[in-house]
Amino acid sequence: MNFVAIKMLMGDRAKYLGIVTGLTFASLLITQQAAIFVGVMQRTYGLITDIGQPDIWVMDPRVQYVDDPKPVNTTELYRVRGIPGVEWAVPMFRNMIRARLRTGAFQQCLVVGIDDATLVGGPAQMTEGRLADLRRNEGVIINVAGATTRLATPGPDGKSVPLRVGDSLEINDHRAIVVGLCETTRTFQSQPVVYTTFSRAMSFAPFERKLMNYVLVKAQPGVDQLELCRRIREHTDLSAYTRDEFKWISMVYYLKYTGIPLNFGIAVVLGFIVGAAIAGQTFHNFTQDNLRYFGALKAMGATTGMLLRMILLQSLTVGAIGYGLGVGAASVIGALAKDTELSFFMPWQLLLISAGTVLLICMFAATISMVKVIRLEPAIVFKS
Amino acid sequence: MIRRYMLPMLALAGFGFGVYTVIAGQREVPVSKPIAQPAKAPFENFVAGSGLIEASSENIMVGAVVPGVVMEVLVTVGSRVHQGDPLFKLDDRQLQGELAVKQTALKVAREQLTRMKSLPRPEDIPAAEARVREAEASLADMKNQLQMRQSVTDKRAISEQELRQAGFAVDAGEAKLGEAKSQLALLKAGAWKADVAVSEAQVASAEAQMAAVQTEIDRLVVRAPIDGEVLQVKIRAGEYAQVGPLSTPLMLLGNVDTLHIRVDVDENDAWRVQSGKSAVAFARGNRDIQTALEFVRFEPYVVPKKSLTGDSGERVDTRVLQVVYRFTRGELPLYVGQQMDVFIDALPLKIDTESTVARKGA
Repeated sequence: MNFVAIKMLMGDRAKYLGIVTGLTFASLLITQQAAIFVGVMQRTYGLITDIGQPDIWVMDPRVQYVDDPKPVNTTELYRVRGIPGVEWAVPMFRNMIRARLRTGAFQQCLVVGIDDATLVGGPAQMTEGRLADLRRNEGVIINVAGATTRLATPGPDGKSVPLRVGDSLEINDHRAIVVGLCETTRTFQSQPVVYTTFSRAMSFAPFERKLMNYVLVKAQPGVDQLELCRRIREHTDLSAYTRDEFKWISMVYYLKYTGIPLNFGIAVVLGFIVGAAIAGQTFHNFTQDNLRYFGALKAMGATTGMLLRMILLQSLTVGAIGYGLGVGAASVIGALAKDTELSFFMPWQLLLISAGTVLLICMFAATISMVKVIRLEPAIVFKS
Repeated sequence: MIRRYMLPMLALAGFGFGVYTVIAGQREVPVSKPIAQPAKAPFENFVAGSGLIEASSENIMVGAVVPGVVMEVLVTVGSRVHQGDPLFKLDDRQLQGELAVKQTALKVAREQLTRMKSLPRPEDIPAAEARVREAEASLADMKNQLQMRQSVTDKRAISEQELRQAGFAVDAGEAKLGEAKSQLALLKAGAWKADVAVSEAQVASAEAQMAAVQTEIDRLVVRAPIDGEVLQVKIRAGEYAQVGPLSTPLMLLGNVDTLHIRVDVDENDAWRVQSGKSAVAFARGNRDIQTALEFVRFEPYVVPKKSLTGDSGERVDTRVLQVVYRFTRGELPLYVGQQMDVFIDALPLKIDTESTVARKGA
């Protein structure tokens, strides 16, 4: 019986392809849009992702997300260090500072100042140079994406020349020498990232009374991080979050105050509606066309339940094929966009959600077809 | 057959690629290794602060007494000096000239005194004696004439007037002899005491003036106020040395046999620090370089914290209690002026007991 159902499905090639195409596009749209959405959301906390050593981030209580740094007193660093349960704490500077290129063009850069002595919080993947080179006078490390795009300057032949190790640039009227290049997680605004030491970052920074943005804290082994956060908050009147908390807070800010989730949500819903409409309509037509055969089967003694199982099998088959193709196509798009500005990230949950959605569409299509079959009279075979 | 299975196969491949993408995307972002481990406190309860190494005598910013151009710098950075050793000399040519004038004046005064004291001049005495003898001779002549006239008994031979004239001449001769004698006596007596005293006073005055110039010259030589080491020399021959507090001191001096470390403690944590408690200092960039500290004193005045950025616009954030500790340098590569991370054994934070740390194995 199942064989008959599959035969019946694939026999009508045009309709078969139509249904699969509809489901493929639905699955592709949903998966790809959601993956980009997840990717964008992940970028909102790119800086936190890159800095893996500290467990806890301490900051001004009014900080709303990671790219919204509010300065605090440098003495707060020592207060945090003195709290029991803190293994170590280092300062961090993070702010946008204008850099001037050789051509005279200006570019806003994300300047990250890390602890002079330990260089905790530095980039993990150096493509050129060593992290310790930051100790050199006027040294900065720039991310590859920034060096090859926004900080690149047009050469004599008109081609753009990326910033290389040994080149100099001007950061807020201070000379800086590129001593290394690194790979970083893209940030939301995708500005070039300039790593330097904390004290040098302070001299780059425009005059301000307070210049430290974050205190990065490592908890002693065995100390409950949430409890330590609570203690830091209580003792210093600053906010303290664990890495995951801070990631979540940063992401929630974007979810709440930007139109990004709405945009992607609309795209996903459209994908769902289009998929459901095309697949439902075509599947319904397909059942309609095959009603005669169903009638014949019924006349031959097949029960309604049997017929329903056949329809269910047909819809699940096309669903599975459409889903597989859609997910595959989305992954291919992701793979192709790997080295571009496009953010694409597919967590395993996304595969399940996509599968669930396709299943929902299939169920919808199957249901409207089932009604026909239930009402079917075997006599229909002899009609027309 | 192939046609029939193409779509399902493709779908299977697509799903497989999706799964692969998920797995590939799961890879953790690598964690960067710090090039040095951050310092870790060795105490249960502690206060952290940044410390600045200084000489145990504190860093003495040597200043000039008077402004002037430097002629010679007599020490180099790192020289060990004793109290009173000259450090640098200012231009003293004008004062040397003045000294020469004063020396001459002293010589003049002294010579005058000598002359005063060596009176009478021996060559003057024979003349004065001759004058006495002359007056004596003259008197004897007068007396003789008077006698001769008195011995004439015939009153007509000699007038009364002549006789009297001869008598007066004798009186005058006696007076002359007296004058010549007293002048000889005056000459022989030499200089008057009061005059000598005046001359002596003049010598003393000239001596004092010379000493004053000498002192002025001495003040142009700047000397070490203590035994110690020259930490910084910011003045060179030919440069103008100013007086008064300077942003860059002319010369920095200090006793570095034992070093002190001045620790800034945030005023919010100041109550937790107790006198006499131990502390540990870590060198920045290498936590293996550490030294135990011995409490010296609290600075009783809480000062505004300077963030030591080296920027020309020094920023003042909050106020800090400064605690001074002592340590011996020994073989440690630590230097005056270096910053260190310091942890001080301190009172525990006031945190409600319900939430005390659940520390494993402690």
